Amino acid sequence: MIVTPRIVFRLVLIVLISVLLQIGFFSQVPLLGSVANLLPVVVVAIGLLGGAVTGAVTGFATGLLLDAMIGGTPGVASLALMAAGYLAGRWREGYDIVSSLVPPLLTGALTALAALIYGSLTLTLGVDAPISILALREVFVQGLLGILLAVPVFPLVRRIVRPALVDDSLSPRSRAAAGTRSSRRRTFGMMRGQGSL
Amino acid sequence: MYRKQVRRRRAILVVLVVACLMLISISISEADDGPLHSVQTGVSTVLSPVGEGAGRALKPARDLIDWFDETWQARGENEDLRDQVAELRAELLETQDAAEKAGYAEKLDELMNDGGLTGYTPVAATVTSRSPSLWYESIKISAGSSDGVSRNDAVITDDGLIGRIANVTGGTSEVALITDGEGGVAARVAGKGPEGLVSGVVGNPGRLDLSLIQGEKDIKDGDKLVTAGFTTETGLASLYPADIPIGEVVETIPAEQEQREQVNVEPFADLADLTDVTVLTSGGG
Repeated sequence: MIVTPRIVFRLVLIVLISVLLQIGFFSQVPLLGSVANLLPVVVVAIGLLGGAVTGAVTGFATGLLLDAMIGGTPGVASLALMAAGYLAGRWREGYDIVSSLVPPLLTGALTALAALIYGSLTLTLGVDAPISILALREVFVQGLLGILLAVPVFPLVRRIVRPALVDDSLSPRSRAAAGTRSSRRRTFGMMRGQGSL
Repeated sequence: MYRKQVRRRRAILVVLVVACLMLISISISEADDGPLHSVQTGVSTVLSPVGEGAGRALKPARDLIDWFDETWQARGENEDLRDQVAELRAELLETQDAAEKAGYAEKLDELMNDGGLTGYTPVAATVTSRSPSLWYESIKISAGSSDGVSRNDAVITDDGLIGRIANVTGGTSEVALITDGEGGVAARVAGKGPEGLVSGVVGNPGRLDLSLIQGEKDIKDGDKLVTAGFTTETGLASLYPADIPIGEVVETIPAEQEQREQVNVEPFADLADLTDVTVLTSGGG
């Protein structure tokens, strides 16, 4: 991703709208005994499109904004979301996204991981109450809802940051042209690894 | 060139991780009026109107989801009921708001008079946002210090206790719910039964746990729990006024081999679906 001031502005806008949507809508709509968490889905999408550093920085900033708005312990949500964004970016830099199923499945896994990290940190910071086995269900359900949310969110984020993408390999045009440019793919792969932030 | 990129990436990652750990460490170690908490409260105060506005703007969407949810549940009932629900839905949607508000006020009056809470000034508020995780059970409400709300004021609905004020800004407050794993409520079985400490069960917002039980009488399924509202001779007092309904005992597992008796409690208030709440501002609490 080529990060220009205009793209930074778009990323800030994405983060702000996502946090407002999360606390004003998703957190207040119970689904399958839990609530959907839009934030790791958005952070993973940005990480997958922009690389590890972009993903990590976006996750860090998103977590700080969330903690400031809901009064949580500063740094906890940042750490969880940063891990999700970084790992998504590392995946993108190491592997080609060969199928449109990869982003939702990876988002589900990393959303569950973020929920697990958030829960573990909260536990480490001192919860005196007994822990129900349903806490594990929360991790699973958030992962599942993350997969579903990624289906519309990933293409939407990709559309918003498209001008900054070096190689949009998931777009239909790119897929159609993929057969004729296999020799160039290695070069693009290297550029993706180097082009973040 | 590539090695340089990798080094820079690692350096940024390390800086971010260290920043997170420092924030966590400072937040835990400093006092409630420390610089980090002050900054957080300041940012929260500035962003609260934005969050509140977003919450209001998105309410129709939430109502739509609720409507679909109710419709989905109605599918499980028999054909006759479904027909009735379809006929009454339009009428219900029109009158639901007014009826809910009137019923809420009536039940709340009853609760306050029966519980001897007339010494407290009730401040009505609506829920504007909710924490996104079961690990940290809190909500934000649309009443703050300008409405007379103070830290540790009890928060109730017409069904009973839901929590206490954890943080206050000018126009909003953060409520730590009773299902939050970080606090407990001194409770007793209604009718001067045994006393104990009610606390949340992390990961299960529909359940509370009664522990540290004192008193000889047995606790049975169906027993009602209310706040104990104790005051000791040394002046130590419970944060909550006495006799606010908390929940009902749904399961008691007898003590075995010196392990403590386990008492599971279901809260009266539906903590997963809160809209209107009332803060009992200090008339002595």
